[in-house]
Amino acid sequence: MSTTTVKKPVRTGKYTWNGAMITRTVASYGVALLMFFPIFFMILTSFKTELQAIAVPSLWIFEPTLENYTEVQERSDYFSFAWNSVVTSVGSTILGLMIATPAAYSMAFNPTKQTKNILMWMLSTKMMPAVGALIPIYLLCQKLGLLDNVFALIIIFTLMNLPIMVWMLYTNFKEIPSEILEASRMDGATLWEEFRYVLLPLAMGGLASTGLLCLVLSWNEAFWVLNLTSANAGTLASLVASYSSPEGLFWSKLSAVSVLAIAPIVIFGWFSQKQLVQGLTFGAVK
Amino acid sequence: MAFLKLQNVDKYYGKLHAIKGVNLEIENGEFIVFVGPSGCGKSTLLRMIAGLEVINGGELILDGKDITTTPSAQRDLAMVFQSYALYPHMTVEDNMSFALRLAKVDPAEIQEKVEKAAEKLDLTAYLKRTPKMLSGGQRQRVAIGRAIVRSPKVFLFDEPLSNLDAALRGQTRVEIAELHRELGATTVYVTHDQVEAMTLADRVVVLRDGIIEQVGTPLDLYDHPKNRFVSQFIGMPQMNLLPADFLPAVAEGSAEVGIRPEHMKAVGAEGAALSGVVELVESLGNETLIHMKIAGKHQIIVRQYVRTELKIGDTVGVEFDASRVHRFDSEGLAL
Repeated sequence: MSTTTVKKPVRTGKYTWNGAMITRTVASYGVALLMFFPIFFMILTSFKTELQAIAVPSLWIFEPTLENYTEVQERSDYFSFAWNSVVTSVGSTILGLMIATPAAYSMAFNPTKQTKNILMWMLSTKMMPAVGALIPIYLLCQKLGLLDNVFALIIIFTLMNLPIMVWMLYTNFKEIPSEILEASRMDGATLWEEFRYVLLPLAMGGLASTGLLCLVLSWNEAFWVLNLTSANAGTLASLVASYSSPEGLFWSKLSAVSVLAIAPIVIFGWFSQKQLVQGLTFGAVK
Repeated sequence: MAFLKLQNVDKYYGKLHAIKGVNLEIENGEFIVFVGPSGCGKSTLLRMIAGLEVINGGELILDGKDITTTPSAQRDLAMVFQSYALYPHMTVEDNMSFALRLAKVDPAEIQEKVEKAAEKLDLTAYLKRTPKMLSGGQRQRVAIGRAIVRSPKVFLFDEPLSNLDAALRGQTRVEIAELHRELGATTVYVTHDQVEAMTLADRVVVLRDGIIEQVGTPLDLYDHPKNRFVSQFIGMPQMNLLPADFLPAVAEGSAEVGIRPEHMKAVGAEGAALSGVVELVESLGNETLIHMKIAGKHQIIVRQYVRTELKIGDTVGVEFDASRVHRFDSEGLAL
């Protein structure tokens, strides 16, 4: 009796390395380090004295100090700015989701001939530079008594992020077969029940990543904050800006306040990176 | 009085008139099958009954109540979708009990109904699994289970077997027939498969371009097609059609005559009413299909239940049963 043996490919390690893979790996690490370097340098500078910070060539080994952080805390009320950042970004994210979700739902599941055009039109509003709308919005806020007001920032952040939110949710909802929603309707679900028990669990990933992205974008928004607020409604972005004064730049203090400003969102982003990446690659992998 | 009644029902997609004033009466407990070529409007008509497509004209009456504009959720109909459309995030049990939970039925009663349906559909062992852990056939049964736990007024099936392989399709078809016999529920079933239509239906509705061509029992449609289209659509292989001048003896003022393959017989060429050249012989064991060409251009098929020695290129005569000849006028209507 003859037996046939089939040779299986032998894999020694986890990956079989080849030239192209090594090049790709080195290149991606290179790009990642290049992007991270300014942040790393900022963190480093925040632990230097002002004198060390302006030293040429840059100091890489020095005795770290926390004086910048204490001084920032003494000079300005970090927590009040941070609180404004939290309120405006969380508020605008919630408001944005409340508007974007029904909009994306209707476009994804009841499309008309104009749906694509509406989506393009929404996106086109992002093509205008923000400064183009500064004067009308400033005047509007002034007339309505909303200058230096958290509420105004929430509205503006929401409107600013809405096109992206609708787009992201639209592509996310598109992946859900409409027959599943129809099945729930046949099962007797009202619109709310259809949303609550069927759409929401299925679209959770998309809703989460959309929310996260908007949170990050609102947190980092500086243009509107600097132009429409001062002491009351200022967010961390305006706190950072306040350290660049006419008398000159104080590098190490500026670094310290910047680290403080980005720390919460970086930590938050670190924990939610899986959701974020998933949201941004929708439709790319099915 | 009819249980489910469609009165002059219309559907437009923009300018396209998809369903053109359809009238149909369905009795309580009846199994109705919609068949037709793709794009004929059979699924659209079903979805209009379901409330998933807006009815643009006419009336839909269920159990004496006008439900033309009633939302799907309030129509008390259950639907089995082609893609099953199970809730992927719920277990089999939750899928099946979803409608009852929405209706706030007593949990003990829900439990009992789900268990009973699961037993009937052989799903008891899978109640705690999610749909993605099930095979295609099992998913299909969950979809059916989801419909039957509710005891709805009407069951709607939208090509439920088209995603299953041939063997499973046959088996599930038998199960659906048994289920219908057991439950006696009014059923509207859409398919493009005429075997499903012939075996399941009490009455078959043949649709073309948004119009009902004929409604009747499966055998009625087979034996007495009202027009050329139905004669071609029902029956496999199709009914043979020949211009009337080939068979003047039976044509009687018709433009075309039709004879089913099994009502024809291959005989010696001499003295036969028709003769042709064999183009292909398909021996299926139980039956033999002889494809031949008459006068060089009209293809016909003869079905016989004895095996044949005929070969491609042979000239052969054809005899037929004159009492089984169908006659169509120049408009394609049966005479």
